[in-house]
Amino acid sequence: MTLETTLPLWVLLTSLIPGVLLFFLPERRHGVRTTINISAACAKLALTAVMVRGVYAGRRYETRIPFLADVDILLRADPFALLFVTLSAALWLATTAYAVGYLEGSPHRSRFFGFFSLCVASTMGIALAGNLLTFFVFYEMLTITTYPLVVHRGTIEALRAGDVYLRYTIGGGAVFLAGVVLIYSLLGPLDFVERGALPLAAREHRVALVVAFVLLVGGLAVKAALFPLHRWLPEAMVAPAPVSALLHAVAVVKAGAFGITRVVYDVYGVRLAHELGVMRPLAILAAFTIVYGSVQALTQRDLKRRLAYSTVSQISYIVLGVAIFGTLSTIGGIVHLVHQGLMKVTLFFCAGNLAEELGIHEVSALRGVGRRMPLTMGAFTVGALGMIGVPPVAGWITKWYLGLGAFTAGEPWVVAVLGASALLNAAYFLPLVYDAWFAAPASVWRAPSGRAEVNLWLLVPTLTTAALSLAVGVFAGFDFSPLGWAKLIARREFAE
Amino acid sequence: MTSIGIVLAVIVPLTLAAALGAVALRPLAARLAPWAPLPALVSSLADQTPAFELDAALLGLRLGAPDPATRAFLAFTAVLWLLAGTFARAYVGAHACSFWFFFLVTMAGNVGAILAGSVATFYVFYAVMTFAAYGLVVHERSDAARRAARTYLVMALGGEILLLAAFLLVVRERIDLPFGDVPVSVARSPHRGVICAFLVVGFGVKAGLVLLHLWLPLAHPVAPSPASAVLSGTIIEVALLAWLRFLPLGVAPLPGLGLSLAAVGFVTAFYGAVVGVLQVDPKVVLAYSSVSQMGLAVVAAGAGLAAPAAAPAATAAIVFFASHHAMAKGSLFLGAAVARETGGGWPARLVTLGLLVAALAIAGAPFTSGALAKAALKDVLTAPSRGAGASAALLSVAAIGSTLLMVRFLSLAAPAADAEERGPRAGLWVPWLVLLASGSALAFHPGLRPDPRAALVGWGALWSGGWPLLAGVALAVAASAVLRRLGRAAPTVPPGDVLVFVEAAVFESRRGIVDARRRARRARRRLQAEAARRLRLGRRVARLSARLQRVDGRLADLEKVGVLLLGLFAALLFLLVD
Repeated sequence: MTLETTLPLWVLLTSLIPGVLLFFLPERRHGVRTTINISAACAKLALTAVMVRGVYAGRRYETRIPFLADVDILLRADPFALLFVTLSAALWLATTAYAVGYLEGSPHRSRFFGFFSLCVASTMGIALAGNLLTFFVFYEMLTITTYPLVVHRGTIEALRAGDVYLRYTIGGGAVFLAGVVLIYSLLGPLDFVERGALPLAAREHRVALVVAFVLLVGGLAVKAALFPLHRWLPEAMVAPAPVSALLHAVAVVKAGAFGITRVVYDVYGVRLAHELGVMRPLAILAAFTIVYGSVQALTQRDLKRRLAYSTVSQISYIVLGVAIFGTLSTIGGIVHLVHQGLMKVTLFFCAGNLAEELGIHEVSALRGVGRRMPLTMGAFTVGALGMIGVPPVAGWITKWYLGLGAFTAGEPWVVAVLGASALLNAAYFLPLVYDAWFAAPASVWRAPSGRAEVNLWLLVPTLTTAALSLAVGVFAGFDFSPLGWAKLIARREFAE
Repeated sequence: MTSIGIVLAVIVPLTLAAALGAVALRPLAARLAPWAPLPALVSSLADQTPAFELDAALLGLRLGAPDPATRAFLAFTAVLWLLAGTFARAYVGAHACSFWFFFLVTMAGNVGAILAGSVATFYVFYAVMTFAAYGLVVHERSDAARRAARTYLVMALGGEILLLAAFLLVVRERIDLPFGDVPVSVARSPHRGVICAFLVVGFGVKAGLVLLHLWLPLAHPVAPSPASAVLSGTIIEVALLAWLRFLPLGVAPLPGLGLSLAAVGFVTAFYGAVVGVLQVDPKVVLAYSSVSQMGLAVVAAGAGLAAPAAAPAATAAIVFFASHHAMAKGSLFLGAAVARETGGGWPARLVTLGLLVAALAIAGAPFTSGALAKAALKDVLTAPSRGAGASAALLSVAAIGSTLLMVRFLSLAAPAADAEERGPRAGLWVPWLVLLASGSALAFHPGLRPDPRAALVGWGALWSGGWPLLAGVALAVAASAVLRRLGRAAPTVPPGDVLVFVEAAVFESRRGIVDARRRARRARRRLQAEAARRLRLGRRVARLSARLQRVDGRLADLEKVGVLLLGLFAALLFLLVD
């Protein structure tokens, strides 16, 4: 039992064990619960940092546990896995802290934080999964552990949203399983391998491979909210703000996008996937989703609903980057996994702050709110500008690389899609920013109860993620920035 | 001299802007804000400063002022920001904190865009400048300001996207492509035509090329005067510098593109003059004058593009033209604000004199920087090409247009001498006077001239600068006499001219969309009602879902589910330990 063989497991357990403990904790032990939560999140972050340093130095971390006759549960920390692990670990800390403040004084907190931790544990499993079966196990675990979070409030509305959520995701999981079974029955168990796991002989099964691809990606597309499988996401925004933040930035939608990337690069291999001719339809679907999500967002009056449709659009940037052949677009897609996470988590935090402090849910109610909550709206502005792709907030790096990748791959239409999307993003974000800062308030706001504009548990995570969104754009050239890491991943995927 | 000055030129305004965020630091930051361009000014004076490179920032941050053109742009930009800033201290009343924030960020973007040594760096700072300038335009928060700001932003966003596409096509795989390699890269690109078209239109929005100029006449009158000064004096001129950087000037002959660019420039020059003369707000007249002047600079760029031999002269001419225009137009915008504060008597006469000096420079009168700028432009046009005579004539016609605009401006802006005697505040007239003096230094300091041999005095210069001026004044006098004889007021055009049609079209189509959506919703509701009546299925589904919901209700007691799951995980853990 060396560090190399146990570290991935420990990263998983740092949220699994607290999750289990929290269920048994009496409801009123808030202090203990918060301590467990925050220290677990910090521990995970520290372990992740160790692994990041190790992997950068060329070390391998792998936990292999015999499961079925010839299939293992395999947890492995390759660079791509670590990108997602780091994102999840960092944002888990932020969202947990946020949730502590957000749920202050509300019932069922043991249950909430228990499932919250389990949800992150599942995400860790997805990130670290070293083969399709492991991936599937945690993917389903994620579906189930997220449901209680979606319906946490227990209202009819929430339950209905939970229904929709389950119907979509369980269906998606089943389709994905079918794909896994098809691959395993054709080629036996496969571990994820950079540049593709399928042996050369697999090319004979052209049709079967295409079918399996459609099943796998089709199943994953539900969570990634690709059109027309996106409807559950706007419904699920009835969940409490920290859940929405986690759902949109880290856990569920990201799991879908991450899975699609895994399937394309580490199961099929990017070259084979393009030979099969399945990438172009995927690219077109993603491009359509980008525009469609933005157009829908434009018509939403509820702030969180608007943000949800914006996620539909933004997640497809990742899929689009993956679906266009070439190093540059791959970097753009992968790096957006992190960028979108940071920016969207910020936006949802802001939406939560507005709802908590001033009861604002509608986009029309933002007039003059910048004067009452300048820091929150400052963070919101950073997030919104990032979504549009205004430098130096993170989003422009994505746009730059995706655009370059599209030109290099000879797909200039993608740049037109990116441009249209930027305009649409501006059309549905900038009026809000304008209202908040430059319009006169419609009514007198309630004075803040403390010294800060809103509870510090809510404010600090919001400002942190906003600052991070800015920092990863400003310091993109740094080796350990998301961009630097994405370059490392892409280099390995395209190495000859 | 190290590159520290270059870094400070960008960092200082940004730091001050950030300091405005902290309530405790706010008064200090606001007091220091006008002096934020000092590092930029100092580094523009140093001859050889090493470039600053930081790979960890952006896609490789590159800042530097390697050539005289960059330093000249940096110098006049810093001077204008400095004087506009000191002017603003006395000028800006309401929302001062917001004003200084956008002022500083726009300044950082502007300075950074000038200093940028690579395409990606330029893109970042240019965007920062563009978006922060929105805050300056919208500053008054009136309906007019909002309309102007919206128009500005929509057009800027459109331009931004074209520019991004162009930049990506230029850069290709070399993500931190330095500017030195850009013209060659553009010239060799298989997509040269597309790139150049995108660059012309994308930066044309900023420079106010004809039909892309719609935001200028709206934004300038509503922005605070010091903001208008930098908007017209430095921000729109970044587009000129960008064209010098990106277009393959002197690398490859592009006669087709060059001539069309020159044609667009002339059309812009005349269009700005004609529409500008028909305005009633002095600041709108100035905005149209800027449009017109930018047109002339574009003509030089076109000439340089058409013939590589003319490129060095074109670059020098554009740089000097930009410096001259920044000083003169800045003086006019600040002067317009001073004039508004001035009552009558001798202050009015002095202020009018100051306005006249700046106006003469714009009109290209002899003994002004404008005459030198025009001579430099003429040199570019007459040197190589066959249409030299025609373009020189057109240039003179444009000068008549400039004169007309200035006459119109003076008649609208000059304080009435017969009003009660009242002088402007020192906080306003001192910076204005310094700016006027800097503009004149441009003409009289030989080291600053585009061509040291260029004659400021002499019969030739007097004639070529003088006759369009006289013609313009004569034309203006004649026109006003004719109008007086006819007993009519001069015809007017709304600021933003064709924008009125665009807005009407947008309004119509938006109403159309709303109507269509309403119709669609009504139709859908009708269909649903029909379907529900025809099919009993709906009721059955409803019953089923009600039952499901009851099941759900039972499951809502989630502690049970939690314990259930725990069992599952216990099993999993067991497997793991095994």
